[in-house]
Parts: sequence; structure tokens; C-alpha cells
Amino acid sequence: MGRSFDTIRFRAEACDACGQCVIACARAKTGTDDTSRARLQILGGGTEGAELALCRQCTDPQCAAVCPSASLAKDPDSGVVTWEAETCVDCLLCTVGCAYGGIASDPVAGHVAKCDLCDGAPECVAACDRGALEHVTASRLYNTQHEREDLFAPGLSACHGCNSELLIRHTMRHIGRETVVAAPPGCIPGMGVVGYNGQTGCKVPVFHPLLTNTAAMLAGLKTQYARAGRDVTMVALAGDGGTVDVGFQSLSGAAARNDPMLFICVDNEGYMNTGMQASGSTSYGSWTSTTPVGEHMQGKSGDAKSLPMLMMMHNGAYVATASTAFLEDYHEKLEKAYATAQHGFAYLHVYAPCPTGWRFPAALTTEVCRRQVETNFVTLWEYTRDGGLRFTRPVEGRRPIGDYVEMIGKYRHLDQTHLDVIQHQVDERVAFLRRFAAPAGG
Amino acid sequence: MPDTDYLIVGSSHAALEAVTAIRMHDHSGSVTLVTRDRHPPYSPTILPYVVSGRAKPERVPLRDSGWFAAQGATFVREDALVGLDPDAFTARLESGAMWRYGKLLLATGARPVVPDIAGLETVPRHVLRTLDDAVALREAIGAARRAVVLGAGLVGMHAAENLVTAGLDVTIVERGAHPLPLYFGATAAAMIGQAFAARGARLLCGRTVASAQGGGDGAVALALDDGETLATDLLVVAAGVVPETGYLAGTDIGLGAAGGILVDAHMRTTRPGIWAAGDVTEGPAFGGGVAVSGILPSAVDQGRIAGMDMAGDRVPPYDGAIPLNTYAAFGRHAVSVGDALAEGDDLDVHEDGDPETGRYRRLVLRDGRLVGATVIGEAIDGGILRQLILRRTDLTPVKDAFLAAPRDTARVLMSRLWR
Amino acid sequence: MTHVATNAPRVIVCDGNQAAAWGVALAKPDVVAVYPITPQSSLVEYVSQFIADGTLTATLMNVEGEHSVLSALQGAMLGGARTYTATSGPGLAFMFEPYMRTPGLRLPMVMSLVTRDGITPQCVWGGQQDAMTVRDVGWIQIYCETVQEVLDTTLMAFRIAEHRDVMLPVNVCHDGNYLSYGVSRLEIPDARQAEAFVGPTDVNWHTALDPARPMAVDPLTGGAGGPGPALFVRYRKSLCAGMEAALRVIKEVHADFADRFGRHHPALVEAYRLDDADRALVTIGSMTGAAKDAVDEARAAGTRVGLLKIKTVRPFPVAAVADALSGVEAIGVIDRAVSFGWNTGPMHQEVLAALARGGRVVPSLGFIGGLAGADITAEHVARAIFDVGRLRDGQAPAGPVWLNETD
Repeated sequence: MGRSFDTIRFRAEACDACGQCVIACARAKTGTDDTSRARLQILGGGTEGAELALCRQCTDPQCAAVCPSASLAKDPDSGVVTWEAETCVDCLLCTVGCAYGGIASDPVAGHVAKCDLCDGAPECVAACDRGALEHVTASRLYNTQHEREDLFAPGLSACHGCNSELLIRHTMRHIGRETVVAAPPGCIPGMGVVGYNGQTGCKVPVFHPLLTNTAAMLAGLKTQYARAGRDVTMVALAGDGGTVDVGFQSLSGAAARNDPMLFICVDNEGYMNTGMQASGSTSYGSWTSTTPVGEHMQGKSGDAKSLPMLMMMHNGAYVATASTAFLEDYHEKLEKAYATAQHGFAYLHVYAPCPTGWRFPAALTTEVCRRQVETNFVTLWEYTRDGGLRFTRPVEGRRPIGDYVEMIGKYRHLDQTHLDVIQHQVDERVAFLRRFAAPAGG
Repeated sequence: MPDTDYLIVGSSHAALEAVTAIRMHDHSGSVTLVTRDRHPPYSPTILPYVVSGRAKPERVPLRDSGWFAAQGATFVREDALVGLDPDAFTARLESGAMWRYGKLLLATGARPVVPDIAGLETVPRHVLRTLDDAVALREAIGAARRAVVLGAGLVGMHAAENLVTAGLDVTIVERGAHPLPLYFGATAAAMIGQAFAARGARLLCGRTVASAQGGGDGAVALALDDGETLATDLLVVAAGVVPETGYLAGTDIGLGAAGGILVDAHMRTTRPGIWAAGDVTEGPAFGGGVAVSGILPSAVDQGRIAGMDMAGDRVPPYDGAIPLNTYAAFGRHAVSVGDALAEGDDLDVHEDGDPETGRYRRLVLRDGRLVGATVIGEAIDGGILRQLILRRTDLTPVKDAFLAAPRDTARVLMSRLWR
Repeated sequence: MTHVATNAPRVIVCDGNQAAAWGVALAKPDVVAVYPITPQSSLVEYVSQFIADGTLTATLMNVEGEHSVLSALQGAMLGGARTYTATSGPGLAFMFEPYMRTPGLRLPMVMSLVTRDGITPQCVWGGQQDAMTVRDVGWIQIYCETVQEVLDTTLMAFRIAEHRDVMLPVNVCHDGNYLSYGVSRLEIPDARQAEAFVGPTDVNWHTALDPARPMAVDPLTGGAGGPGPALFVRYRKSLCAGMEAALRVIKEVHADFADRFGRHHPALVEAYRLDDADRALVTIGSMTGAAKDAVDEARAAGTRVGLLKIKTVRPFPVAAVADALSGVEAIGVIDRAVSFGWNTGPMHQEVLAALARGGRVVPSLGFIGGLAGADITAEHVARAIFDVGRLRDGQAPAGPVWLNETD
């Protein structure tokens, strides 16, 4: 229990039932083109879309629970529900236990057969060029993270659907106890990270700096630890107000001095903790309580200030943007940022769509994060002094910005003219960033 | 007096599932399993395969000692429960040991019925309920030329198939009109019977044994109700099973009409602190009523529910047992799900079969919803049919497709649902 | 590391900024953060040079503004560092946000305030408007009179601040222009003696950002419900207690300094020729030298005038002031800053308050002089003595008297 495993994800909307995956499976598993013997089957494919019958590699597999010969079992390492031919008695009770059609009789072999994920390299996924099958390996994250200590108390009081809690728990699990956290005023201390009247939600040393001075304060602290010869990592968990606006001077100074720290900006585009006022990071057109919508105002009239770009221009030792919809990407960047923070300045800008302040359903946060990236509203990249800027997710083939804007209540008042402006801003920003990107293969 | 927070009597599917479920919720409470068997846990369902040699006795354990250690559970073998004092929360074992328990799960399964036949008690005979029974039967096959099987249920038919395959002259005596009467209708049963007949077995249906008499060298003579006498070297009694509840004598724990321990939708017996699960129970049936389910998938479900409820985990009430059976004879597979034999004016029954190819289907719908199915000789996902029944999925929009291609249509429905 | 011992000249001639830098070198802070501002700039230049030369083995942080100076030092102190910085006027205003926070965190930081008049009008010259404006924030404020006192007080300030009964930051104030640039003889204490005097660094025993002692530093505290109100009051009362303890500790440290180094400096106040005085002037900082001359002259002319110099403004030495002035019948208080809403100087108000607490109402007159680098000469003080004399005689002139109004 408590482990997660790789799986094959099926996106029905991308599947046109071409059958390549089934053929690939039949070949890989039976050496024939007899698709009736394949371990996955694609069904339908008409106007109602394609459907899949495939083993889900259940955590608590019913096929195994009802097997009288103990021939089916969840492999604790790979997560594959394994089947042992030698002990199987072909009773077919497993097919009665499974609710997915994931284990079925191979009519030629005369016994049941099921997907074994091809030892971690599923042939069906390799054969799918429609993007309908994906080998999801995010389980590595879960498994490595959950072994590590959660450094926040359970029950932080973040708003429903806020991704900041997810982000900071992941972050601190990764970084560990030899750390000092500084969380300036904002949502993160607001959810109990620093604490209230003598109680705290954090298990590592944590400070509630001023909104204005997080980076300078950490720089001073790190200076003393460097004098003392102790390896302690400085971590800022700041909102965009404490980064983009009043926090910017001390941040700029620390970045320019290459002060060793990991500064994480959790960008929810405004002062959401205090009632959704606009910040320098608020995007064009956004409704906020200080950029309201009325006869004479249509939300924010200017564009957002791009802090990650500014940090790149400071020649920060490591600068990256990240989205919680792409946690593997985030963890790769966190790893690099953490390593950098031992000797230099590392900056991570993580986007935090705010269900409460942006007005979208709390259940959709991750989808909103994903859509930000898919529309290039947010681009995921990293900058190093040696490698320059590198996009970590493709920026080609973006979806139209309307696909993102339509999800968010704070844009509800926008018309096509506004949308055109935002689309132009997005495309311009990507074009601008491309100029800093190292040439392909370089 | 030893004591334990959780005392589980039995060591098969229901008992093992209960341990897992308890440990999901309670990491520290002491768990003790007690079984009368001398072997590590195994499934009664595996026994016919031990008889045939398909399953090696040493390979049948469902769990090893490492599993018990990992669960932090104590496993006591070769000691049967013989008495209970529900007021004192104590259980008395055959060895004389008394255990004090916090919560008790009775998962003692069932025992074979010995039909009321004159002389049967005195003649050499085999039953098939324990691993030792299976090993003994397998050894006896080698010395025998003729065999008689009393009862054409799943156990009897499976044993008979093994005996036929071993080259014995086999006669099956069944009281009902056709073999496997609890699972298949006349048409399907006829197809199965033909498969046996084609291999030289005699299937005597609608017949009973009047008396049994021992002969020399372990031979047995059976007199049938119509006067025919069957002489045999090997007698297998497979006349069904009844819940194993002898230890309840002197308690007021409620029993059902079929002799099972009455349980509610949380597998609670009529006495607080005592749960029961598996073949020993008489509990909710899907669609209403109370029944002895007696099948492996029900034991798994019930064991899990009992374990969760015992540990104080929140558990939704049991849907009720749904018949789920698979049966294979001479390589041909049959699957029966739900109320597959149902007859009635309110039912929409679609039956077709082809004795030539051995294919057969019986799909039973009520109000556009599946209530039962028998499928022989073609691929079907019994687990998905079970879900359609449990969820009372309305098949009206896809009825034609379902009747034409039940497997693929059901797969599409379920794939869409899971998404 | 005892570079000071080998490098330090025993007696030099220098200005007050350099004297302060010597005091810092002797106190051996771990981390010094600097940002230059007139008239403090040469002070941080001296300190930086000491660090460059190895005279002081501190880590120097050149940060991008006073706000970050104080922020960085707060961080360093929470990691266990003894710290130092200096600022002035607008720099103090810019660092006000973290400045306001330092006493509540009970961080025993030492910061020189090279006092400068407030803007606007825009000016870069001396005056105590900056320091007086922040006197109720919770920092200890000690005002120096001479170049020697700047060094000695700077050294003493670390010990006062870090005393476990005090644990408060200290501003060592010396007047911009007069003391920052005024040159005189300076005796530099022996480095080993100075090190023994200040003692080992002990600044974050009470609150720390250290994985070895995990704690939440300064979570939200207060609010109207739960434990908030009582907890907040506890913190506030504890700060007041630290201030009260400082009255005693400042005296003890000055006495110990005198024992070890042979130089006696008044700790809280200095009474000059007050014993038989019927009138008194109250002064602060570098103006005191000229004032003492004027008092001497008036005494020579038969006027029974005395002088009380206030050295420690926070905590305010209420009893010492009331006691020193118990025999006089009129007082004049010369301020180098303005309390705008009171139409007088801040020390004037506070002296009156101190007397009133003892039940005394004494005729008083406020003088304001030396603003924006203006001189306070013996002649200015003589005029003040004359005015106080008239006041004593019942001819009350209207205050405040702006000493440089007709210069």
C-alpha cells in the first residue's frame, strides 16, 4: 500500500480506432497478427468515440482476490498485476472478478492473458501516433515523494482547489529538513504555514518576513550559515505581491549578488489573500477588486510584468517557470534549483490559478493549469548561464487563447477584441522568448 | 487465557480478505487466525485441480508465512473452534485452548453433506472439501478402474471429469433432471452432458441411490432407486455442502433456513461482536432475500466487508450476493452470472445455442436491464456482466448490439462508465 | 583572529565616523551590511576597509538599500550572527519597516545613527530629527557627545544589547557633521581587553532560524479571540521589561567599562554644576560642549546655572532626570529636533513629563537649534541661559525659541 505505479492512459477523444496498438500488442505478445489475441482491445470508434478494454493494473486487483490458485498478484515493485502460467488452472474466475475486461481468455493459447506493460515499455503506446495512449510514469514522483517526510502539518487551511498546498508539500518533501523557509505575507502563511498565536503548520524553521524583504533576509541568514560552515538551504515561498511588486527590490538585489537561495514565486496574479486586489502580475483584462469591471473600466488595462524574464535578465544562476499540471517537469526543475541554491541564486516561478479569486470551479485547478500551458498563456522553460533558455514543453501547436479564457470567471466580461489582444500578447511573448532559446540541438 | 483484538476462524478467502481489510484501518490491533486445517491457507475451489494433478498441493497456498508476518497476524493451525461464549467473548478450541477476543469473525466455510442413504456411512467413500481429501482421492484413482460420483454439482462434475480423464469407467448419479441444475438450464446442461457421454461417462439423472454396501478390496455396491446396481472401486460423494456451524451449539446466534449464520449487510451476526463471512453465512442476496451464496467471489466481498466493519472502517452496505460461476469441462468454458436460470412473464429471455460448435447463450433482461446470463463456448467478461447487473445499467439504447455482441457491447459501456 | 591587537594604534586623531568604525572593529561583529548615505558614508567606508584589511573579520554585505541592510541583518542574527550597520536620515526612513520590527524580534543589533535633519526641505546636514522621530519604536537610543564617547559607546552598545535581561537593538547616535566629521584625539582600547569586555556572541538563544532548533519565528499573533490578546500583551510587556532592565544594565556596563578602561562616561544623564543651581539647561549630544562653556561663563558672572545632558533617550531615565533637576526653579531644554504637533522640541516634552511624574511643575522654555547643520555656539547657549533666568523671574518668554532664527 501507499505506492503508485506506471500506467497506460487512454484519451478517447484522440483515438480514431486505427488499430495500430492492437496489432502491436498481438505481435509483441503472440508473435502473430491475430488481433483477437491482443491484450488490449479498442472498441467502437464511431461518432460516440473509441473505447478501451485493458488491464488497469489495479491497486487491489479483484482478479487476484478471486483467484483460487494464487496465480495473479500485484507486483510490489513494478505494480504490474502478474499472471503465473504454471499455477493457473484456467478456471476463468479472474474474468468474473475483473470489471474492465482486462483479463480474458486467449482462444488460441487456451488460457487467460493480460497486459504486463511490456516490462515498462508498452508496445501499444509506441505504436500509437494519435496521442491516444500514453505511458504515464508519474508514479516515480509519488513513490519517491511519499517516502519522504511531509514537512507541513496536515490540514493547512488553503482554499478549496488551491494548488499552493500541493506545491509546497511537494517542494519541502523534496528539500528536506536542513532548510529555513521564509513565507512573506500572502496566501501561503495565510493557510497556516507560519502559524498563528504560537502554533505553526511547518516542521522546519519558518519565518514570516515582511512582504518586502524576503530575499534580503534570507541572504543575511545564509551569510551567517556560510560563516559557520553549515549547509542549510534557504527557501522563499512567496506570492507574486512579495515578488513582483514590493518584494522586487530585495529580490533583484539578491539575484544580482547571486545570493544562495531558492526563491519560489507562487503566482496567483494578485493579492488573493486579502480580497483579490490586482498586482503587477495580474494579466490583461482580469477582473480584480481594484481593476473592476464597469462602464469605464474593463478589468486590468495593462499587461503583467514577467518576473521570470526579469530574473533571467539578472543572469540568475537558475531560473525556471513551472506548472503544477506538469509535476514531473516541476520536480526536474526543483532538483536543479535546489542544487543551484547551495551556491547561487535559483528562482522558480510557479503558476497558481486561484479558484476563489479567478472564479472557476475548485475541481478544475489542474485543468486550468494545463490549459494555461496548452495555450502558451504560460510557457514552461528554464534558464541557465551555460545553456541559455530552453523550453521544457513544446510551444508549437498552441490552442487558441479562448480555450483558456473561457474557463475563468475573471475574464467573463471580455469580448473578441480583448481576446485578440491577449492572443497577440501570448504570441508576442513566445516569439520574444524564442529569441533567447538555444537553437534546436544546440 | 490468550487474547486477541480480532479472532478470525477459518483461513480461506473470506478470512484472508478480512485480515487485509482490518489492516487497512487498524495497524496495531492484534489479529489471530485459527483454522482446523493443517495446511497453509488454500481455496476449496482449487481442490478438483489437485485431484487432476493440474495443481500441485505444495503450490496451492494463497498466502505464505511472510504474509502473516507482514500483516502482523498470528496463524494457528490444526485447531478447530468447538464452542463459543458470546457473553464472555471467549472461543473454545478443540485443543482445549480458550481465546478471549474483542471481535470475532466466523469464516468456517462449509462441510460436505452425507446423504441419508442406507449403508453409506459404512462404505469407503471420498468427499472433496479439504486438501487432504483431494490428495486422498488423487491417490485412490490410480488403484481404481470404476468410479461412481454421487451428485452432478460443480464439485461432482469436476471430479467426474478428472476420473474420466484418468481413464476410469465413470457413472454420475444425479437426483435432478440434468447435471449442474443450480447453474445451467436444460439446454446448456444437455450440451455438457453430451461432452461427458462422448467420453464414455454415464450420466444417470433423475435417479437416487437407495443403499450402499461394501464389498471386498474396497469395492462398493450401490443400489439405485430403480433397482439397478452399480459396482464401483471408487465412490465420490458430492451431494452438496452445508455451513459448518457445529460450534454454535448452545448459543443464540441466529441461523437461517438453509443452516447458514444469518448476517446483515455489514456481515454482522445477530450477536454484537461477532461477524460471519463466506460459505458459512446466510445473508443478503442481490435483488432481495436471503441466501447461502457459497461461491468464492462472495466470500471475498463478504470477508472484506466484515473486516472493514470490524475495524471500524466506514463500509457501504453489501449489495448482496450475485451468483457468479465458471465451469469448464473438457476444455469448454461456461460462465454463468446472476439470475441466469430465471423464468417468468416479466422477463425478456434471449437464448440460442449451437450443439455443433458448442456455443450457447442465455441472456435474461428485465425492463431493459440485465439480470442474468449464461455463456458457453464464447468469450465473455463475466466481471463486466456482473457490473451491468449490479448497476442495473439500462441496456435499452444498445439492446440490439448487446444481444448481437454481448462482450464488445458490454466492454464499450463499461469503458465509457469508467471514464 | 586578533588583527586589531597588532594593527591598532593606541592613540590617533580622527573623526567620529572613524571612531565608530573602531568601536565596531573591537566588538567583532560577524556580519556587517552597508549602504552609504551622507553623513554616514565615511563610517561604512572605514568599516569596509577594516574588513578588506583584515582588521575586522566580519562578512561584508553590500546590499541595494537600507531596507535590505536591516533585513539581511535580521536574517543573519536569527542565524546567530552579531551584526552591525549604520544609517542616517532618509536611510533610516527607508529601512523603517524592518527597523520597526527589530525590537519585537528582540534582536540585539547595534546600529549607528549618524543623525541628520529630516527632509523636506531637502538637506544633507546634521540634526536629530531622524532619531527623535523613531524614538518610540523600541530601540535603545544613546546619544554621544564626543569622538571618544562614540567609540566607547559603540563598544558598550553590543554588551548592553546582548544582555539577557535586555535583548534589544541599540542605536548609538552621533551628530551628523559635528561628530561625524569633527576631528579629535581618540584612545583606542586594547583589542583583547575589548573582546573580553564585550563577551562571546549570544544573540539567538531565544529565537532562531536553525534546523537544529526548528521553530516558527514571528507567526501571526493577536486578534480579538483565543490566546491572541493575552499573548500579544505578553510580548509587549516583555519588551517594556527589557527597556526597564536596560536602565540598570546601561549603568552597569558603563561602570564596568570605567573599571576596565579607566574612562568614565555618564550612562543615562550627566549633571554639570547642578548642585546649587537655581536654573538649568538640558542638552543632548555634541551641543553639550559649547553649552558647558556657556554655563562656566555664566557661573563666572554669578548666575547659578547648571546643565543636565541626556545621554540615554530610550529607555528615558525618568528618575535620573527628575532627581537631577529637583533643585532648580526653571529649566530650558535645547532640542536639535522638532515635535511638530507640540510646537517645541521632543526632549522638552519628555523632561516635563519626567518632572510631572514626580509631581513637579517647573517653569520651562523650549529651545530649538542646530537644525540642518546650523551651529549651536556658546553665544546661543548664553542667550538661552538668559531666557531661562527671565523665566525664573516670572517673565515668561514665549516658546519655542529658535536659536538660529536670526543667524
